[in-house]
Amino acid sequence: MSDDQKDVLIAAYLFEDLAKKDFDAVLKLAKDKAITVEGVVLDQKDEKGEVEVSETGDHLGRKGVKVGAGVGLVVGLFAPPLLAATAVGAALGGVTGKFAKHRLESGIGKKMDAALPPGSGGVIAVYDSGGADTVDKALVNAVKKSVAQIDGMSAKKLKAGLAEAQAGMGG
Amino acid sequence: MSDEAIDRTKLPIRRPQFEGKVERTLDGSQPDWNSIAPIPAPKGAPNVLLVLTDDAGFGNPSGFGGPISTPTLDRLGEGGLTYNRFHTTALCSPTRAALITGRNHHAVGFGMIGEFAGPFPGYSATLPKDCMPFPKTLQGNGYSTACFGKWHLTPDNVQGPSGPFDRWPNALGFDYFWGFLGGESGQFDPVIIENNTAIGVPDEDDFYFPDAMADKTIEWLHGVRAHGSEKPWFAYFSTGCSHAPHQVGTDWSGKYKGKFDQGWDKLREETVQRQKERRVIPADAELTPRPEAMPAWDSLDANHKRLYARQMEVYAGYCENADWNVGRVIDAIDEMGELENTLVIYIWGDNGASMEGTLTGTFNELTTLNGVPLTDEQQLQLTLKWGGLEAWGTDMMGPHYSAAWAWAGNCPFQWGKQVASHLGGTRDPMVVHWPKRIAEQRGLRPQFTHVIDVGPTILEAVGLPQPTHIDGVEQQPMHGTSFLYSLDDAAAAEQHTQQYFEILGNRAMYKDGWWLSWMMPRIPWELDPKTLERFAPGVWDPETDPVELYYLPDDFTQAKNVADQHPEKVEELKKLFWEEAERYDVFPLLGGLTGFFGMRPPIPTQSQFTYYGDVQNVASGMIPRIYNHSYTISADLEIPEGAEGVIVAEADHLGGFSLFVQDGKLRHTYSFLGVQEFRQESETPLPTGSVNVRMEFAADAPKPATGGEVTLFVDDEPVGSGRIEHTVPARFSGYAGMDIGRDNGLPVDRSYVDKSPFAFTGKVKKVVFDVNPHLTEEHEQELHEHLEQALAGHAINA
Repeated sequence: MSDDQKDVLIAAYLFEDLAKKDFDAVLKLAKDKAITVEGVVLDQKDEKGEVEVSETGDHLGRKGVKVGAGVGLVVGLFAPPLLAATAVGAALGGVTGKFAKHRLESGIGKKMDAALPPGSGGVIAVYDSGGADTVDKALVNAVKKSVAQIDGMSAKKLKAGLAEAQAGMGG
Repeated sequence: MSDEAIDRTKLPIRRPQFEGKVERTLDGSQPDWNSIAPIPAPKGAPNVLLVLTDDAGFGNPSGFGGPISTPTLDRLGEGGLTYNRFHTTALCSPTRAALITGRNHHAVGFGMIGEFAGPFPGYSATLPKDCMPFPKTLQGNGYSTACFGKWHLTPDNVQGPSGPFDRWPNALGFDYFWGFLGGESGQFDPVIIENNTAIGVPDEDDFYFPDAMADKTIEWLHGVRAHGSEKPWFAYFSTGCSHAPHQVGTDWSGKYKGKFDQGWDKLREETVQRQKERRVIPADAELTPRPEAMPAWDSLDANHKRLYARQMEVYAGYCENADWNVGRVIDAIDEMGELENTLVIYIWGDNGASMEGTLTGTFNELTTLNGVPLTDEQQLQLTLKWGGLEAWGTDMMGPHYSAAWAWAGNCPFQWGKQVASHLGGTRDPMVVHWPKRIAEQRGLRPQFTHVIDVGPTILEAVGLPQPTHIDGVEQQPMHGTSFLYSLDDAAAAEQHTQQYFEILGNRAMYKDGWWLSWMMPRIPWELDPKTLERFAPGVWDPETDPVELYYLPDDFTQAKNVADQHPEKVEELKKLFWEEAERYDVFPLLGGLTGFFGMRPPIPTQSQFTYYGDVQNVASGMIPRIYNHSYTISADLEIPEGAEGVIVAEADHLGGFSLFVQDGKLRHTYSFLGVQEFRQESETPLPTGSVNVRMEFAADAPKPATGGEVTLFVDDEPVGSGRIEHTVPARFSGYAGMDIGRDNGLPVDRSYVDKSPFAFTGKVKKVVFDVNPHLTEEHEQELHEHLEQALAGHAINA
């Protein structure tokens, strides 16, 4: 994992299928190693603000594989409660709390919540900041893009917490 | 009294001569019951239903080859006559003024719209007493009369309970009025006016104005017939549809899902083909090309294509519903057994379809009207913010579609609303149905007709003369020409042979088939200062504007400009235009835009506005002029334990403010037209008992849309603060009003939507607005000028 600063990007869409197209485009960049990605998530926020993850992709550009720490990082930053369902299962109170704390203290949570209005679809990606221009060009169908940052060390710690939790579940 | 004995040329009709005999007692006296009988209408006079829709194009309805299903218009056309060369003025109020007076719009003060009275006779927005509307004639001659829906002939500043009411419908020939006075209304949250009273926003959950309008009309018809078995009636059914906000349920818009995915270019080709098949345009008519100002559909990306398609789906559903409601009224008349002798004149559009949504369309038309520039990207984002495409057409937005759809709706012509120089702005469908009088079915009438002809036609049809005097005032003759002559003869030579057109500097002169187009070189939706600089006094010479010349008998669509081949005709029609313009008070050109060019009304001197009790539904154009100023809202309250609710609120989440109590705290929410929201709250709970609360807005600078600091006070102690980064420069809403002690209609702050209207549970004793003058007269003048310009912009688009 790179220790570089990372961009947390949220792209909002009027149409689910166009969000899916951009999701695929970012994953292809990861697969082609044009960018260094932690994970990518395609999600939908309903009218009441409830979020559902439709699809995930990992650092190698693979879709729908077992959710690892990279994708868990994306999900946890965006909606910590979803970690239970998507990343590591129910036995994850501690790590969920760490994500919630980071969201609050860094201000990233507020920014992410505002970026995706109720009733819209989104692509969320965490990647090394150096790839920002490349990602930006790939998201041709986004109506709105918001970018926050997370430093490499924080990302590493959050991922480590996830990995531990996953290991615990596995054991 | 016999029909012949009644002198109907002077209204009111004088009481009949008493023809009985009066003695000291009843002994020997002979009664004359005629002396107390009401004035009868001419024998056999028909009922009249006059239908006018709003902002709608020649190429919209199915009966005219369009993509929107209009079974009522179509069936009336099949059972009567279709006029394919009928013309409006190209703008809302002017057409309405011309329609009900039978006179040219400038000549009755309506060169511009009702909200924007100007300082010249042709632009006064005041119907002269010597040009009374023809419904006044019907009313004075034994008709029951009513108007439902959009009125748009009462200036903004006289729309409250203090009157004066001489420019309201009841004073202008209508026994009954139910609708709205201004240029537009929300379909789900209108502020209803009934006669001379604002009855406010209906509180039924499923209320839909267009449906309710038909309900009210039918109810009125039933009532009239129940109480007067012989009396003919005149009903003016003037829909708010299809003016923005385009709002309709998915049960209507859903019918059109996918129907516009082909885009506006292809739609025009399909429409013109159908128009030829239906014979509403000649077989050799040429489709005019897309102007450079409109993008090609194929050049758009996927987001825009789908957004735009949805815009048109909603518009089409909105229109179909309006036609369906006309159909309900027609069915009710039929059920009463009166359709046979009812003259129905159904006009599809008071001008061409409206291009005022700009190229992108908008989630909230008030952004455009306030001159708030939103990029294409921002429009998409704000659409997303307020619920995405599914919310387009609901009350979450105040939407208007792209100008390119309007242009396509005016197929096969050029341009649209406001552009009086071209048929896209002026020509609209008209159908006439009157079984008792018109034998022909599916008749087509190509005679040139104009909106000023409707009044004379109706009077001739019912057998009434144009009165020489009304209420003691000598009347000017109507300018229109009755087209009754054409009912029986499709080939009759047209009798209305010349007509000028002028709206906002766009001019035309029609004579004997020739049409001179003299368009001001301005894209209709461009009103920015730089554009208008070109038309300032001393800069603009209208004589030098480019002219186009068309010979309509050979060129139905204005596709072949023959100005170069007929310079003598160009000069003849130019000269005629200037003569007509002088005759009908068209001068000074741009007399309706004085606000843009330094001719401003006096600065309002009232700076304090006090509201006692629970004043409701203050018209949106009559709220305190807090725009661009520092101001204070102070309220004296009686606060019980656990109090909550709204102290004062104007309009809604798409623009407005609310001062309210929630969770024990004083709160203030300011919506910058739905683009941004700014909220402040008190840090401590409100006390109980007699309390004064105050919101102070300290503007940063005397400039349009200024930001500023908000401070909340309780009994003069500051309790909270915050900023408003941008304020609304001209107007929060086109229709939503201000309320004391509650927030009627849609809420400003959606946090209390479940409790709407969120009436204050304590007592609001008094609310006082103080609008602080700016420090220098120069600043005051500048802002006044800006406000007038912005309001003029609003007016143009209303």
